[in-house]
Amino acid sequence: MLFSKSWLAEYVDLPESTEEISRRLTDVGLAIEGTEDHGEDVRFDVEVTSNRVDCMNHLGVARELAVIYGQPLRMPPVAPPEGVERVGDATRVDIEDEEGCPRFVARVVRGVKIGPSPDWLRKRLESIGSRSINNVVDVTNFILWEMGQPLHAYDLAKLEEHRLVVRRAREGETLVTLDGVERKLDPEMLVIADAVRPVGLGGVMGGADSEVTDATTDILIEGAHFDRRRVRVAARALGMHTDASHRFERGADPGSCLDGVTRAARLIAEIAGGTVLAGAIDVRRANFPVSRSGRLDLDRLDAFAGAPIPAADSERWLTGLGFGVTRAGERLWDVTVPTWRLYDFQPRPDGSAYEQDLFEESIRHFGFANIPAALPGIPGADAPRTPRQILREKVRDLLAASGYAETVSFSFQSPEMDAAFPSLRPEAKPMPLANPLSDRYSVMRRSLLPNLVEVARFNQRRGLPAVRVFEIATVFYENPSEKVPDQPELVALICGGIVGSPWQREVDLDLFDLKGAVEALAEVAGVRLEARPAALTGLLEGSSAELVRDGKRIGWFGRVAEEEGYPLYAAEIALDGLEGGDISLQVEAPSRFPGIDADLTLTHSVETAWAEIDRTIAGHRPADLVSWEMTVRYQGQGVPEGAINTTVHFLYNSPERSLTQEEVNERQLALAAELQRRFGWKD
Amino acid sequence: MTQIDELASRFEREAAAASDRAAWEELRVRWIGRKQGLVRAALDGIKSVEPAERRAYGEAVNRLKETVEQRLAGMDESLAARERETARRGAAVDVTLPGRRPSLGSIHPVTRVVREMTQIFGELGYSVAEGPEAETDYLNFGALNFPADHPARDTQDTFFLRSGHLLRTHTSPVQIRTMLSRKPPIRVICPGRVYRNDNDLRHSPMFHQVELLAVDEGLTVGHLKGTLLAFLRRLFAPDTEIRLRPSFFPFTEPSAEVDITCQICKGTGCPTCSGTGWMELLGCGMVDPRVLDECGIDPGRYSGFAFGMGSDRVAMNRYNIPNIRTFFDNDERLLRQVRG
Repeated sequence: MLFSKSWLAEYVDLPESTEEISRRLTDVGLAIEGTEDHGEDVRFDVEVTSNRVDCMNHLGVARELAVIYGQPLRMPPVAPPEGVERVGDATRVDIEDEEGCPRFVARVVRGVKIGPSPDWLRKRLESIGSRSINNVVDVTNFILWEMGQPLHAYDLAKLEEHRLVVRRAREGETLVTLDGVERKLDPEMLVIADAVRPVGLGGVMGGADSEVTDATTDILIEGAHFDRRRVRVAARALGMHTDASHRFERGADPGSCLDGVTRAARLIAEIAGGTVLAGAIDVRRANFPVSRSGRLDLDRLDAFAGAPIPAADSERWLTGLGFGVTRAGERLWDVTVPTWRLYDFQPRPDGSAYEQDLFEESIRHFGFANIPAALPGIPGADAPRTPRQILREKVRDLLAASGYAETVSFSFQSPEMDAAFPSLRPEAKPMPLANPLSDRYSVMRRSLLPNLVEVARFNQRRGLPAVRVFEIATVFYENPSEKVPDQPELVALICGGIVGSPWQREVDLDLFDLKGAVEALAEVAGVRLEARPAALTGLLEGSSAELVRDGKRIGWFGRVAEEEGYPLYAAEIALDGLEGGDISLQVEAPSRFPGIDADLTLTHSVETAWAEIDRTIAGHRPADLVSWEMTVRYQGQGVPEGAINTTVHFLYNSPERSLTQEEVNERQLALAAELQRRFGWKD
Repeated sequence: MTQIDELASRFEREAAAASDRAAWEELRVRWIGRKQGLVRAALDGIKSVEPAERRAYGEAVNRLKETVEQRLAGMDESLAARERETARRGAAVDVTLPGRRPSLGSIHPVTRVVREMTQIFGELGYSVAEGPEAETDYLNFGALNFPADHPARDTQDTFFLRSGHLLRTHTSPVQIRTMLSRKPPIRVICPGRVYRNDNDLRHSPMFHQVELLAVDEGLTVGHLKGTLLAFLRRLFAPDTEIRLRPSFFPFTEPSAEVDITCQICKGTGCPTCSGTGWMELLGCGMVDPRVLDECGIDPGRYSGFAFGMGSDRVAMNRYNIPNIRTFFDNDERLLRQVRG
């Protein structure tokens, strides 16, 4: 928002350079985004936060400067010489919608001559980048930028019955606004109407029909206060944003209506001639505006700031900013909030002002820089890491140490992508966004795999000989029985291609490299996962399986069905499925006695699953068999068609003594006979 | 006698000329070979020596034999040593060849930064609080003192779900959830994904935040500053300074924007900081009493401070990544460069 230095200087002496002024304003919360020379003048570009509507005009910024520099604030003259005709005889105003418009002030000036504005007024408007229109309209704009009160000037002659009604728009009503656009109104919108039709959109823009033109002689000046929400709803519904709506939406000064209108009338009479009718119409809701005050305890202020703030300074700052200060005790003040700060001081449940809001005024003028930094006394750690946090970082570390790169993808995707892979809650429909960026990002993802496959393809297309990536993130399922959607956390990984080179002993990644990573995850989590062959959307049947823990499906893995370049293998697991595992800290001392190795090669049907052989070994586990491991799978010369050779390596070891080869042979023979009986290849 | 002396000096000559294993072997066979060795022949020659001279002759031959054997053994040893040396040299490798590395992956740069922050705050006594990304309007806005239909909401372009939920625009709902479920003292940080309907070169519709919340009796603006300073000096350089500029957020009062010493120029002014010497980094403030009231915490008794920052922005600074969108491209060639 632009401010003119010479305009500010009308109201307050500025003893420092532009640079210093910028710094001081920034220090009290009016951030200067830049300054610019404008002829003799300087323009400040001020970032006024939405709570400081009082500083969206020159007097407001000058008030802060007056406090900063301890200078008096020069208020501009307001009251005009008045004619004999009384305003109440010329017009009347009725408020039918007090919620939308709690106050409406009007004055009338008769016999004006519309024409160009004098130089001083044009310059003022130009100094902040505003364009001159005519003397009357320019005065209303000038008041907005001087005092902050949005005004509107009507051609009184064009108002049916020369009166105004503030009311909700009626169903089907329309209004052509000053910008020439015909607006369709609805009853949520507040209109200023004459006896017949809307002539203005309250707090947003006036109507074209009653606009001041060169032929206008009698004008009605409106200075009202409008409800924040109602102005915003109307402005948004119509896609409008004006200087007036910007202020009303954020909370304008309900106390400036009369002064704004009166000073405008005075200036118009000075510039455009005419007579200001006696008196002003000031219609308002009972008890409007409310008065707000609160107790300020200076000891509590110091304790809150963490520094002693001199009481005399606080008093000077507060009174300079327009607060009323009366003593209620030794270091206890009753402070009244000025009308231009009411919206920034939303009350406590009992209607009084929050002390913290009062503290802020002192603290910002005291300066954050003057408060010494200190660390609070910490009575130890707040809380331990949760099991989920521990598990998540374990999973992340393991995958990163296993060669996978962590990725982060958007949580929304296209409905087509979302349907391309299985969902842990297939019954839960995808959750669409109401205002997506585009179709491509229009539903919340139910699986991480679509993004991972996309990432893999992206890297494949860039010529990477291998891809290994993972993501840990939340997915989204509708859950009408809870306040928020079901948002479980998943980990997904994908791999494919050739890692390394002949020198680096390259690995041509396949399904079992992927499965190995999944098994390692299960191991660090202390859970047992079973792979159950399953047909799954997006994964190649015969190369895909569900991951089952204690009978419950917690994820899946498999070869990605759609191929482009080298094959990809992907897995997805719910983190809660890895929680609560048996991470035993107990270890078993290895035997002091030598162990005996044995190998067994079984020729069996390719249809026989390793899991069955594995289970059978476990079920017939001979004494002292410490471990076994599948070491070789072989098909080819010497192995019958439809059969496969599986070699298993066994390790026997007793904690108490050295085993003899004979006893191990005997046990192996019995086990081999059982395996042979069950699975042995029969021609 | 002269015959033996002659033999001895002949051996000396031949031994001196024998420089490799083959010559040594030849020498050995010629001199002490069991059948035709010259020493053997000399011994056998005793038969043709006068009996009176036989003793002296025998002694002379034995001396010759000893000399020859010793000399040959010595030569054998030095030859063997030379051979071992040659063998070792033959087995040498090119030690400058590349090693075989374990195949390492990587952790996303934003995750790394968040971990670092979590660690720092862990040392300062804070725990990590987490919450859902699809939230209620109340927890994302209402409880944080954003009135319905207030322009303050415009600053946080929100994604809404058709179900009536929204995607959190900051991790502040986690602060509310924490305050609703626990009594003070509270010291948590809230890292996580957040969403804003903003998609251009400088903005990503999804990004990451880390927020901090402390609520206790007696917390001051000075404590807010001290905590910021302690954290930022650990995260950035130990001589980092901060500057608080008063600002406005609905959920804190007073509120401030925090600038830190530009990490590129160390405060002297450079193009990155537009010559100011400062980098805008985060927003902070004392928890607004309306927020405390909303969570059932008495603002007359307790005070709190909070701050929040984009973890992606910190990661951009740390890894010299100029564009936030880079983080979501997931290009392995970039991701795998990220170490430490």
